[in-house]
Amino acid sequence: MEIKTAVKNLSNYKIYLQVEKAINEFLSKNNYLKIELPVLSPVLIPESYLKVFETDFNFINKSEKLYLTPSPELFLKRLLAYGVGDCYYLGKSFRNFDPPATLHSYEFVMLEFYKMEANYMDIADVVLKLLQSIKKQTIYQGKIISFEKWEKITITEAFKKYSNISETELFNHRLFIKKAKQKKYQIDGFTYEDLWSQIYSQEIEPHLGTNGYPTLIYDYPKEFAALAKLNSDGKTTQRFEFYIEGIELGDCYTELTDWKEQEMRFKKEEKVSHPIDKGYIEALKYGLDDCSGIAIGLERLAMIFANLTSIDQLKLINIS
Amino acid sequence: MRISAGNLKKSDFVNFQGGICQVQKADFYSPGKGSALMKARLKNLITAKNVEYAYKSNEQVEVLDVTSVDMQYIYKDQENLYFMDERTFNQSALPISVVGDISKFFKEGEKMFVYMYNDKPLTIRPPMSVRLKIIEADDAAKGDTVSGAKKPVTVETGATVMVPIFVKVGETISINPETGEYTGRV
Repeated sequence: MEIKTAVKNLSNYKIYLQVEKAINEFLSKNNYLKIELPVLSPVLIPESYLKVFETDFNFINKSEKLYLTPSPELFLKRLLAYGVGDCYYLGKSFRNFDPPATLHSYEFVMLEFYKMEANYMDIADVVLKLLQSIKKQTIYQGKIISFEKWEKITITEAFKKYSNISETELFNHRLFIKKAKQKKYQIDGFTYEDLWSQIYSQEIEPHLGTNGYPTLIYDYPKEFAALAKLNSDGKTTQRFEFYIEGIELGDCYTELTDWKEQEMRFKKEEKVSHPIDKGYIEALKYGLDDCSGIAIGLERLAMIFANLTSIDQLKLINIS
Repeated sequence: MRISAGNLKKSDFVNFQGGICQVQKADFYSPGKGSALMKARLKNLITAKNVEYAYKSNEQVEVLDVTSVDMQYIYKDQENLYFMDERTFNQSALPISVVGDISKFFKEGEKMFVYMYNDKPLTIRPPMSVRLKIIEADDAAKGDTVSGAKKPVTVETGATVMVPIFVKVGETISINPETGEYTGRV
């Protein structure tokens, strides 16, 4: 890897700053408290699909492992349980397996905000107003994108519409894998989650947010949301993601506030290499009121407003 | 050779849905729902069509063992570019649609590497840079002193390239044929 200087990106970087400023202004005006947080933590939430950076903190004759946080969630949830109210973090997060790519970087800027007494659809309303506060509409790759409304579709409807996979096949692991095989995907050694993710990316994502409005796709199978509240159907969770021109920009869920359910789901997560944040469960035991939150990749969002196809085009210094 | 899709890179050759394809772009993608993916843009070397495919990053992909042969580019017609192996005098034809836009920077008589598989030509290996003479250019407009200002010129193959305004007719310039960008004077 090497350091690449790109002063030619200055005008793009200024758009990034405008987007960041508009977000801070919008959230502050709507009484969300901005919270600065550590990026190094001795414990993390177990999310088996996230690989993390670790380092050794050495002091006197001792040494302790610290981890760069893959998201600010573990800190913000504590603060929410102990009563901080509506709040947000806008800063760096780190993931130790995202090689520099069009839409990925191992360090990236994340906006995560939470609203009390809200569910995921309340957050959807806030996000739409947030987008409007940046700009009423924008032109992305020659197409006008208006933030006047969402185009909404459920995961079940999307699999039916774009992949010809029925509701029964979608939720039954054996049938889903059979369908994947029929579609000529490589299935040996792969799980339902792996294949689901592949078909979703290959057959569904390219259609999302392509009709002139951002698309909100919602109600994911419970396998894909360890921290989200279950719907009354017992098989989907209150989670949505939103897209513009096939690009995923944000991930929201109604928070799981039941500590017993959360503890059980944590145990189901595969073995992770870092110590598990027990304080997170403690905070839920103390009591977390109903709330909902969303994580938005700031660089990806700014990329849309700057009409770019890669996040590195926003940056003055890239390492790759 | 079988490799993990996560290690696929630009210009690798793969068999995809019954056709030989060349990777145009391979981009890591982690949807945060199950395994990470490698999103590849594959160009079918028969139809010249691009297809996007999301591989699971740890799925096994057969990468074709191709050879590259040094050949001379001799001429083109409406559809094909023709190359000659200087040792055997065998001629090979490659469709312009397969080779792509870079062919507009090829000068007759230039040497080039052609990728071969089972004795059949697949496509060419793009040179890092090409050197071409400017045959037509406007003089810089008066007062056009903005730093970084550019103008279009025509090079000897007929292609148009944007160059800094101080570059003149008769000069030879180097061009990155893949991006079509001026990289310097030679």
